[in-house]
Amino acid sequence: MSKPNSPTRRGFLDFLIAACSAITTAALAIPGVLYLWPAAKGGGSQKVEVEGAKSMAIGQSKTVQVGSLAVIVVKQRSGFCAFSAVCTHLGCLVKWDTGKKQFLCPCHAAAFDEKGKVVSGPPPAPLVEVSVKEVGDKIFVSTA
Amino acid sequence: MSVIKKIQGFFDSRFDTDTVAHFVDKQAHKRLPPHTGWFHVFGSLSLLLFISQTITGILLLIYYRPTPDEAHKSIQYITGEVQFGWLYRQIHAWGATLMIVGVLLHMIRTFFSGAYKKPRELTWVTGVVLFVVTITFGFTGYLLPWNQIAFWATTVGTESANKVPVIGSWLQYFLRGGEAVTGETLSRFFVVHVIILPWILTGMIGIHLVLMRVNNLATFEAVGEEEPLEPKHGIPFFPVHVAKEGAVAILLLAVLVTLSVVSPWEIGEPADALSTPAHIKPEWYFLPSYQLLKYFEGPYGAIIGIIICSLPFLLLLLWPFLDRGKERRPRKRPIAVAFGLFALLAAVFLGVLGHYSETNITLFGKAYHIDLLGKPHLIVPADSTDTPNTEALSH
Repeated sequence: MSKPNSPTRRGFLDFLIAACSAITTAALAIPGVLYLWPAAKGGGSQKVEVEGAKSMAIGQSKTVQVGSLAVIVVKQRSGFCAFSAVCTHLGCLVKWDTGKKQFLCPCHAAAFDEKGKVVSGPPPAPLVEVSVKEVGDKIFVSTA
Repeated sequence: MSVIKKIQGFFDSRFDTDTVAHFVDKQAHKRLPPHTGWFHVFGSLSLLLFISQTITGILLLIYYRPTPDEAHKSIQYITGEVQFGWLYRQIHAWGATLMIVGVLLHMIRTFFSGAYKKPRELTWVTGVVLFVVTITFGFTGYLLPWNQIAFWATTVGTESANKVPVIGSWLQYFLRGGEAVTGETLSRFFVVHVIILPWILTGMIGIHLVLMRVNNLATFEAVGEEEPLEPKHGIPFFPVHVAKEGAVAILLLAVLVTLSVVSPWEIGEPADALSTPAHIKPEWYFLPSYQLLKYFEGPYGAIIGIIICSLPFLLLLLWPFLDRGKERRPRKRPIAVAFGLFALLAAVFLGVLGHYSETNITLFGKAYHIDLLGKPHLIVPADSTDTPNTEALSH
């Protein structure tokens, strides 16, 4: 007579089938989930030339695509400066207002000063600064 | 022997067709509660719209191309070149909006008549899931024309996912298929819109209908006091209720075609990832959440806002298990009815604020600027005073 809690052949087979089913499901599901995860593109730092930057007047701005990031380049008296154009509130692209000397977001009335700091509106953080380099008569912006 | 008899004989000799015929006859002549009327057609109206969306969606798929270069052009081609393409596109776009209206009206009727109570809690829960799936249909389908409004509304919408605690950035990256809204996002939304959601919705509708048929429509009797319907007392599903549904279906078709002709949806400018148009706003059914989120700022504001915006859906899902009262008649459930009315009014109020925020309106001959939070500011003509040209009403 076997003890009440001792494993039976049927119980062991039930466990074996359940375990094999779980392992098979996981083996099928894990590649499926990884397949759905977006593949990284580009990566690392990216450098883009700002076309026609030299002919920009003081106070003028230009938005360029650097990888997946939109970057706004402004020519100021002190030289070129560049920021991520993505508003830190909800991702709309800011525009440079020459008269106000501010970056304005068209979506929720946010304003950032010429150094990217929040002046008014709901953004929780300043605009992210992007590196600008002058090489000869060309202007490059690069993201880390 | 007629052809029909021959076909019937073919099936009779192979299957137990009597059982099938008996089941169909029983379902067709099922008795509905005596109060079943015009307010009970919103469910079938929503189902009808889903069928319309499926048919028009398949027709649009023949010419639609889900890539950033071709999506907008293919919509232009459907509208301008394909015979009756404009009509099917308009019926699909208007059908999406009307389907949400239909589901909402169906839920409102069910809520106020207490039909979600025992034993129909799961019918309600599947209904709430259907509502969420219908909204997700709207969100994913909105991007497919790849125009400016769609592109930037999706950017803002998926940016909101970033505010979800802990998993926000992963969720956003997964939804977009990368850092920003690109062709990867379009592909993902397209697959979800035309493959995944239709099957989920079909399955959920099946479960919802089976549950509805098993428990029948609710009467106004209190929980536990419902008596089985006497054959002579109820309303036969066929032909009485089906006739009502048929009349509504014809009316719906007329409304869909009229709206398509009188108020067509614009194709808009093609998406430009380097220029955000002014005052992007979501579709009307997202306006209450859109407006509510604006009131939560600061480091924890977004998280609190997301939690508060999720609460109504959670409440809807759990409502049959929270409201344990036995009464169904609205007059005998004052708290639940007051709560429902308050929630409805709050949603409408926030939606209206969201719609008019950051615009100028004229009211009783005076012009006002409605700010981001919905606060009106009187616009004073520049030459009438030296003070700034807007003045908060609260001053």
